[in-house]
Amino acid sequence: MRSEAIIVSDLVKKYGELTAVDHISFNVFEGDVFSLLGPNGAGKTTTVEILECLRTPTSGDAWIKGLSVRDPKDVRKIKKIIGVLPQEFYAVDNLTVLENVVLAAAAKNSDNVRGVLERLGLWEFRGRRFSTLSGGLKRRVGLAMALVGEPEIVFLDEPTTGLDPEARRETWHLIRELRRSGVTVVLTTHYMEEAERLSDHVAIIVNGRIAAEGEVKNLISRYGGRTTLVFDDIDEEARQHLVDRGFNVEALSGGRSVVRVEGEHEVFEVISYLRSLGYEGYPLIRRGGLEDVFLSVIGSKLSEGGDLI
Amino acid sequence: MRTFITFVTLLLKTWFRSKTSLFFGLALPITLLLVFGTIFGGPSPPSYSLYVRNLDLDGSGGPAPLSKAFIDALNSSVFEVKLLPPDAPPQQSTGFTAVRILTIPQGFTGSLLNASIRTRIDITADTILRFVEMAGENISSEVRANISRGIEGMEDFKQSLVVGNTTLILEGSPDDRILQAIEGILNVIASKFELGLLNASAVLQVKTQFHQIRQLRAVDYYMPGYIAAFIMTNGLLGVSQQFSEYRRRGVIKLLASTPVSKSFWIASIVAVQTIASLVLTSVMILAGWLVFRIAVYPDVFSLAVILLGTLAFTGFGVLIGGVLKEAEAVAALGNTLSFPMMFLSGAFWPLELMPGYLQAAARYMPLYYFHVALRETLVSGSPATAIIPALVVAITAVVATISAVAATKWKDF
Repeated sequence: MRSEAIIVSDLVKKYGELTAVDHISFNVFEGDVFSLLGPNGAGKTTTVEILECLRTPTSGDAWIKGLSVRDPKDVRKIKKIIGVLPQEFYAVDNLTVLENVVLAAAAKNSDNVRGVLERLGLWEFRGRRFSTLSGGLKRRVGLAMALVGEPEIVFLDEPTTGLDPEARRETWHLIRELRRSGVTVVLTTHYMEEAERLSDHVAIIVNGRIAAEGEVKNLISRYGGRTTLVFDDIDEEARQHLVDRGFNVEALSGGRSVVRVEGEHEVFEVISYLRSLGYEGYPLIRRGGLEDVFLSVIGSKLSEGGDLI
Repeated sequence: MRTFITFVTLLLKTWFRSKTSLFFGLALPITLLLVFGTIFGGPSPPSYSLYVRNLDLDGSGGPAPLSKAFIDALNSSVFEVKLLPPDAPPQQSTGFTAVRILTIPQGFTGSLLNASIRTRIDITADTILRFVEMAGENISSEVRANISRGIEGMEDFKQSLVVGNTTLILEGSPDDRILQAIEGILNVIASKFELGLLNASAVLQVKTQFHQIRQLRAVDYYMPGYIAAFIMTNGLLGVSQQFSEYRRRGVIKLLASTPVSKSFWIASIVAVQTIASLVLTSVMILAGWLVFRIAVYPDVFSLAVILLGTLAFTGFGVLIGGVLKEAEAVAALGNTLSFPMMFLSGAFWPLELMPGYLQAAARYMPLYYFHVALRETLVSGSPATAIIPALVVAITAVVATISAVAATKWKDF
């Protein structure tokens, strides 16, 4: 049985009248990638910064490997076993890649700089000034600074925000590598796809509260709703046949139709039924995902910029 | 210790790689020292410019003999004489050099010759009368009568000599602070010129002897002022903006999430600033010695003052960068504090040149005590007179450092 790397219990953080984190509780298991998914201002960063010992909770507590973030004696021990990539992190411009990572290594009293740089594919760029790197390489340097010192738990606060798709995929690859090496990763993100592709567990957080939490596949099966089949070329008559057979059918603009089904077996049932009626076209099949979970739980979608829409 | 050395090494690299740091930390202070030192404080003696309008001309329009000789006498003195034609319009001041015009009157040569002969007659008559009085009964009454008639004849000749205008007119501005001194120098030159005409020499003389007390030149004043001022700007502007920038980029958060304490981080910054201050001081001393032959006394006292000043202003820099969240607010406050101090504390020019209320205001500025203490130790070689200003800097350093450590957020940013 896996043990908990992080236990969060009834955590509250208030700034005057504003409650940024509102009685949050969750557990993160060792070796898991745990994502806090939510819109901007939901309380994701505040929550992880409490776990990083960078903020003091108003009430409640959290334990990192059994060490309390509220206990000053434990905090120093926690800081030795965690790695942090802050939100919108940019290393020192006029230091080289190597020097920036050496800075972080010195702070953690570690000397595995070369190992981390090689692992992240940065060794060949070690002599380049940070200011001259591409966005993806810059984020990789941030990851290297978080990973130096061989932390047991890594906190990555919106690690792919602002990156182009290629750099984002590179970062995802690195996070998967981390997971494979047994490091526990706590990730905050407002990208559904990112949380869905990388996470074992997800907590959807809105207005400082956890709206839904669990394993990704369980969340999708519980809230993600149905698989959707989008047809471009079926007419009103075919739609009516499907409705008559008890399928959920919706007509969209431009002549398209959407059929929502419960599972894979119904996908084949719909297609074979339409074939029997003489319709040859193939639908676009979209399985339910975190986006549907989010829509189902929160009633809104998330924009690319992380705002509720 | 290894971590500390690594931090200091890396932060020093960022300092030396930053164009802004190099400009404000080295290039600008050296440039100011060279420029202002050359203009106001070079090794050559000050020159006194003087326009001379000579109205004493001979028949051919050239200068009459005595006026020419007088102008030659002026030229061989401290004055830099520029001749003005008799009908030249008044000269305009440039704002930096005062315009002073000495006018030699028409008939100066004739009047001066006649006046000189009259003086000689007076001296001769007076000398004869003194001899007669000293001789007493040894001179017969007949001889006395002859002498008396001779003196009367000399007196008649004297009365026949007409003495015109011999007054030299010195024109100048009431704003010219050395006009009176120039009048004094001209009077001395005129008196010597008169004595020369009488073939006499002055009995009273002034002889200059150089004593051992060092007289500061302007450039000696500038150097410690610039060093102090730019150590201040490195702290108030450089450190505060670096701190603010590191916070904005998340570097402070990343460091705060490690076992490194904020005191350790601040100590690293202070160490870097101290090294930068020592580099600045060394380069300034070298430039000052090479160009102006400024002799300084870098000893343990001046080193202590540099350390205290660096600590004080680095502390203020960390305090500003740590307390204010917006980068623009950090820059604004840093500039608001540093520029008035730079120009009003007397770092760039003596306080005596400023109005009384500004002199009083300067004494509330930490930079005033810093540059005074540095000047007393580094240039005057007088640590005893640096004790009080150094104490003020030390107290400022303690207050700034404690405030910086207390106000810097390492948590709950």
